[in-house]
Amino acid sequence: MSDVTLRDVRKSFGAVEVIKGVDLDIKSGEFVVFVGPSGCGKSTLLRMIAGLETITSGDLAIGGDRMNEVDPSQRGIAMVFQSYALYPHMTVRENMGFALRFAGMPKEEIRKQVDEAARILELEPLMDRKPKALSGGQRQRVAIGRAIVRHPKVFLFDEPLSNLDAELRVHMRIEIAKLHRDLGATIVYVTHDQVEAMTLADKIVVLRSGIVEQVGAPLELYDNPANLFVAGFIGSPKMNFLKGVVEGGGTGRADVRLPDFGGAVVPVALKGDAPAAGTPVTLGIRPSQFAESGDAALPVTVDMLEHLGAETLIYARSAASDLVTIASQSRPNVEIGDTLTARFPSSAALLFGADGKRIY
Amino acid sequence: MISYGLKQRLSSIAVYIILGLMAFISIFPFLWMVVGATNSTSDIINGKMSFGSALLLNATTFFTQVNVPLIFWNSAKITIIATVLTLLISSLAGYGFEIFASRFRERLYTLMLLTLMIPFAALMIPLFMLMGKFGLINTHIAVVLPTIASAFIIFYFRQSTKAFPHELRDAARVDGLKEWQIFLLIYMPVMRSTYAAAFIIVFMTIWNSYLWPLVVLQSNDTKTITLVISSLGSAYYPDYGAVMIGTVLATIPTLFVFFAMQRQFVEGMLGSVK
Repeated sequence: MSDVTLRDVRKSFGAVEVIKGVDLDIKSGEFVVFVGPSGCGKSTLLRMIAGLETITSGDLAIGGDRMNEVDPSQRGIAMVFQSYALYPHMTVRENMGFALRFAGMPKEEIRKQVDEAARILELEPLMDRKPKALSGGQRQRVAIGRAIVRHPKVFLFDEPLSNLDAELRVHMRIEIAKLHRDLGATIVYVTHDQVEAMTLADKIVVLRSGIVEQVGAPLELYDNPANLFVAGFIGSPKMNFLKGVVEGGGTGRADVRLPDFGGAVVPVALKGDAPAAGTPVTLGIRPSQFAESGDAALPVTVDMLEHLGAETLIYARSAASDLVTIASQSRPNVEIGDTLTARFPSSAALLFGADGKRIY
Repeated sequence: MISYGLKQRLSSIAVYIILGLMAFISIFPFLWMVVGATNSTSDIINGKMSFGSALLLNATTFFTQVNVPLIFWNSAKITIIATVLTLLISSLAGYGFEIFASRFRERLYTLMLLTLMIPFAALMIPLFMLMGKFGLINTHIAVVLPTIASAFIIFYFRQSTKAFPHELRDAARVDGLKEWQIFLLIYMPVMRSTYAAAFIIVFMTIWNSYLWPLVVLQSNDTKTITLVISSLGSAYYPDYGAVMIGTVLATIPTLFVFFAMQRQFVEGMLGSVK
């Protein structure tokens, strides 16, 4: 059993509370990604699971055992750090075997474990080198190897790819995903990169200011964000938010007028009742959901174009200067300054209240 | 109109002349010391700057007047013990000041730095009385004790520890190391250049220390080499040739330490963690 449970976990530094009551269940074998902007508390939360930060209040359990006061080395975790944290005075082999040697494992057994991890990570030719003689990607592989040899219940990754260049990051991302598939281990992974979160996670935990904003599978968060923050944070380019006012509707539908877009009215599908007429709302629509045809139409002027090859990003403005990003899979025949009608199916639009919460 | 190439050459000649002059100023005392060791007292007083033939005579005089093995043993014992203890205690303090946060940390640190402003002459009498109370006058412990918690070396280690990656400490904690093991097995090897630089500074300071040993070491069998050289030089008819021999011999250990650790010294002064 290597599930992780957090119950009303809080952390304060002096009078400042940075983790404000987190409840979370991480199942055995699950790949969970903590994502959020800088300062949201994701690394602090990970360090609390690792035992590198004390827990001010609440309960942490790993494999069913309460771990609040347990030493980091006894929690059954292994951690991979952003800066790799390899011991610079030791060779790759010594780095990988250090924790085992320290735990009193026989030399022959250490050798076997280290060789096995080196084989998995293709580190065999580098075993006698010191970290300074390795590239960034190799160092990260050694750091992962150091974690693997311990056979932990839970792997903790703290922004492990942040120091790598873009190409290597993609490569390592695939390596980590493969590793998870091969080892079937429970992984808790921290990143501020939502692409990493989307591609790696079984479950994403979106954090803001020490609060869990939403927990769910990547596509669930993408398709059904619970609030404006999650809707804006997940997905790249980010979701368009258009100011609107409820004009009418009823059960299962709200008619939202967009004053900044020439008073266009979008009928948004809801599960429940429409808010009262006159209620200010925000309409969310993803850039990729604009299409050639659609029942909602926004008159806009093209401000800027980005040709990315596979898609073209059109940055356009309404008459009232509200910015809209349109992602087109085709290569549209438009120029900067052109006026066009941006269309989308109203069924794709999401509605958020003035408090930022989703209106279902 | 001077061409660019000529200008470059002239400026590099000027730089070499200045550097050569500085090097000569630095090396001259050593040269004078070595040349002096081969000349008689009268030649040294007359300012003779060429090698003479009195080396053997000077050496015989020095080795006759001085119990060389004993004073070297005294100096070496005091220096090695004091250097090792200073590095251990001061690096522990510097590491502690940087790594462990507490409410009083900065106040305590400032207070410690303020002690750097107190001249040693002002501390000498209270220290002497303290040593007297403990019955340590005329012992080598009295020379060692006041040096082992050096505010400057603590400051140096704290500054250097800022470059010590905190994640290494975290990784070590996850690997199961206790705080003292992190210090011994991770911090010390990682910071070896800092230790090397501090070792040279402390070794040279203690080896060459004069005033405090002069105050507390009173019998001849406890004296260090600097005290003995000084007493030779302050005799009624000082034998400067013998003094120069002693000075040359006294310089050898520090030169050896410096050359042995030169690379780490430079690394340590530049910042030891790469």
